[in-house]
Amino acid sequence: MIVIVNTTSDERISDTIKQQLAVCKVEAEIIEASNLNIGHCIGCNHCWLKTPGECAVKDDYEEILKKIIHADQLWVISDTALGFINHKGKNIFDRVIPIITMNLCFKKKEMRHVKRYKKNANVGLIFKGEADGNFLNRWMERVALNLGSKSLGAFKESEVKEALSCMC
Amino acid sequence: MHVLIINASPRVKQYSNTDKILGAFTKGLSEEGVTFSQYELSDRRSWDEIRKAYYENNNILIAMPLFVECVPGILMEFLETLGPKNDGTKVSFILQGGFYEASQLRCGETYLEMLAKNFGLEYAGTLVKGGNFGIRLAEGEARDKQVEPFKEMGAEFAREGSFFSPKCKAFAGPEQFPLPVRIMVGMAFKFAMPSYFTKASKSFGAKKPLNYRPYK
Repeated sequence: MIVIVNTTSDERISDTIKQQLAVCKVEAEIIEASNLNIGHCIGCNHCWLKTPGECAVKDDYEEILKKIIHADQLWVISDTALGFINHKGKNIFDRVIPIITMNLCFKKKEMRHVKRYKKNANVGLIFKGEADGNFLNRWMERVALNLGSKSLGAFKESEVKEALSCMC
Repeated sequence: MHVLIINASPRVKQYSNTDKILGAFTKGLSEEGVTFSQYELSDRRSWDEIRKAYYENNNILIAMPLFVECVPGILMEFLETLGPKNDGTKVSFILQGGFYEASQLRCGETYLEMLAKNFGLEYAGTLVKGGNFGIRLAEGEARDKQVEPFKEMGAEFAREGSFFSPKCKAFAGPEQFPLPVRIMVGMAFKFAMPSYFTKASKSFGAKKPLNYRPYK
């Protein structure tokens, strides 16, 4: 199953993806999140220490998190800001932390968090606006490393076909 | 010299590791005769005041925890409300994280240099330091001891005006641990640390094990 969280107000990207995934017969859920109430991670660590696996911020993200834990792929569609994804896109990634535990182990040469669930979704990004694609790809690799999954890459809005080739 | 310091941790000041780090860092600054004003992004009521201070100051230091390999979402949200300066203002950063290896912070560090350029600010370096998760779990002298090394970094920053000195660069510690250390630390995290974390978890009021899966 693929979970796609669109944090932009542009639903055309979602529509393009939806049409293609229907052709490929891939099970996917597209969440239009631009108007949802999703706050930033407040760094309270309750998801690790007090209520393991559960975010203390009670907003619309909780339902998304429940879907992410069953997903094979998580895609975030985000506007850009200051050469990076904007805060709405970043909040989706920051709030995914409950899927890992505070326990640590070494994987190859670096420390990693131990996963909470058996597998974590591979992660991909589609960005709309100006940003350094090379940096975003590097960042996605790092995100995937620390989630114990794989990066599917960072794609410009104009490269949505390439992103779709990872989904189908 | 006067420095505008912005604590970009989303965690409230009382529990902010970054704030404890800044506490030691600013002692070093003060001892070298540098003055500072500090604001907390976690307090949204102060955002107007911080924006005003951003435009009025020409030496800015933003300190933050690494959040998912880059800057916290709350910092992006705040920065998105600012405009570029292009007036010779210097910006430097403190980037701290939980993982011990400096390599874990390098991607975030790269972005901070890009960020400075985006705002037309002169980049004065990033002080990188991992291994800070335990600040939250320590108290009193034990906590003071953990953050104490940042005091010397504050003094060094006051003397140099940037984080480019060899001392500041060395402060990051090893990029990765050598194999014998990885084996030793790995064993500690496999056998000793889980019970320490469980104890810490209980002190937070946890009723479930650390690896609990709330969603099926």
